[in-house]
Amino acid sequence: MNDVITHKEFSLKKTVLRILLYFVAIDVCIFTLYPYFAMFCTALKSRVEIFSPNGTIFPIQSMWSNFIDIWSRAPMAQYLLNSVLIAGGSTLIAMLCGIPAAYALARMKFKGQTAFLGFIIVSQMFAPVVLLVGIYQVMQTLGLTDSIWGLIFINAAFNQAFTVWLLRGTFMSISPEMEQAATIDGCTRVQAMLRILIPVAAPGIVTTLIFIFINAWNEYTVALCLIQTDTLKPLTVGINTFNGYNMIEWQYLFAASIFAIIPVVLLFMSIEKNLVSGLASGGVKG
Amino acid sequence: MNKKLYRKIEPYIWISPSVILMAVFILTPILSVFRMAANKVSRTGKLQGFNNFANFTSVVNNPAFSLVLKNTVIWTIAVVVISTVLGFMLALVLNNNFKGRKIVRAIVVFPWATTLVIQASVWNFIINTDYGTLNTLLLKLGIIQEAVNWTPTPAAYFAWEIACGIFVTIPFVTFCVLSGLQSIDTSYYEAATVDGANYWQKLRSLTLPLVRPSLTVATVLNIIYVFNSFPIVWTMTKGDPANRTDTLVTYLYKLAFYNGRQGEAAAVSVIGFIILLICASTYMVYTLRKGDDT
Repeated sequence: MNDVITHKEFSLKKTVLRILLYFVAIDVCIFTLYPYFAMFCTALKSRVEIFSPNGTIFPIQSMWSNFIDIWSRAPMAQYLLNSVLIAGGSTLIAMLCGIPAAYALARMKFKGQTAFLGFIIVSQMFAPVVLLVGIYQVMQTLGLTDSIWGLIFINAAFNQAFTVWLLRGTFMSISPEMEQAATIDGCTRVQAMLRILIPVAAPGIVTTLIFIFINAWNEYTVALCLIQTDTLKPLTVGINTFNGYNMIEWQYLFAASIFAIIPVVLLFMSIEKNLVSGLASGGVKG
Repeated sequence: MNKKLYRKIEPYIWISPSVILMAVFILTPILSVFRMAANKVSRTGKLQGFNNFANFTSVVNNPAFSLVLKNTVIWTIAVVVISTVLGFMLALVLNNNFKGRKIVRAIVVFPWATTLVIQASVWNFIINTDYGTLNTLLLKLGIIQEAVNWTPTPAAYFAWEIACGIFVTIPFVTFCVLSGLQSIDTSYYEAATVDGANYWQKLRSLTLPLVRPSLTVATVLNIIYVFNSFPIVWTMTKGDPANRTDTLVTYLYKLAFYNGRQGEAAAVSVIGFIILLICASTYMVYTLRKGDDT
């Protein structure tokens, strides 16, 4: 406060930077939200209005009925149920397989540990789409083409790397002393894990769980390739009913899309902070 | 004695569910792809014996393949480089403390959470010449006088696909860098300020080296994801017209499931995997070594 002039200059510069900061932040928000805004407005328009030569930004008359019509125009309820089953099933299987594996990696020493971790990392390079021909063959052998079970297993398997990686990081950040004390008191390893480690690791586990659920919910390529029967399709593939070859029902496509987006965006926002720190620490430490 | 043996095999029991799951649904498809690539494959997917890499030669000799390869390289480099730069800048902005930062962070996550098919459909709608909202918006704002054809050529359409790819990739980079930034000890910055370093100096010699590990992880994962990205191109153009907007993955999908040439599709998979392996490992070795020097 001794040097009044420099202090003033300093705060002027600070104010300008502040304004610039808000300017950028607001622009980013507008730009990011624009597609969602366009989607929402279009979902409320009539077909005639969408294709009219005098385009409108906001709907002239909001057709909330579009959001009701989609349920009868396509088996939306079935698609939604399939998406829930696929995402829920894959999450369950991925966790049931991933938790013990992550536990072993975090708490035990064994031969082949590095090889297992190595395979997990390399498996990330093979996206399902590159392996589609192989996946199709394997699914044919197992009789799982055109089946929800097939998608559940594929999603669980391809999310296994993330599951094990994130959970291993979480478990390693928790001191093993409590579990050791419990085993001395006569608990088995499984009991020690279930009663002591899992409750402490709950935030990390929930983050992982939601992340797998979102990935499986958003999966498109494998479902497109494996599922032929209309009533077995998940939402991501099913909504393309409105995206016909010669006529696109944009208003229905977008109304249906909003149903597919909302749960995921909410879930994602709830884990965003934990997920990223988990990702980064897992990657850097590994 | 029995207990000792149990202790020895115990870890393998714990990892066995995970290993079995990945062995059946990842490893078997990988082996299957390699086998199919090396064999003559019937339209129904039956292997008919080793055919001296005929799948590879017929893929490489197809004039469409070089076009597809070129598209894939452009697609991957453009999306990864631009989204990394923009995502990094956005992370620097969001790392400041300001009112509403939480809201902005929540909004920035949107494109990451939205499934790519829907994202691509919306973009397709926005840029449509006849009824797209981009034209409507610009007309209403008086920026243009008549509707612009945003996709006059396949190359222009491909550029829009790249833009869409960048749009959905930025959040991932931003959040990875942001987590790196927030783990930096603020005392470094205080020390640098005392030493009279300006913003750019601090950015260059403090921030960049310190977030490099996060940035490297994000970039390697991005290279893999973007290279293998299917839904955007598939939804917007299906690789048409005449492979002009195809990338390797859409090309192989068409080969396998439209043309019934599964052997060749498997060969494309193998080629793609080799390219990816070389790129990702080169990048990782290069950046990690550079990191050691400093």
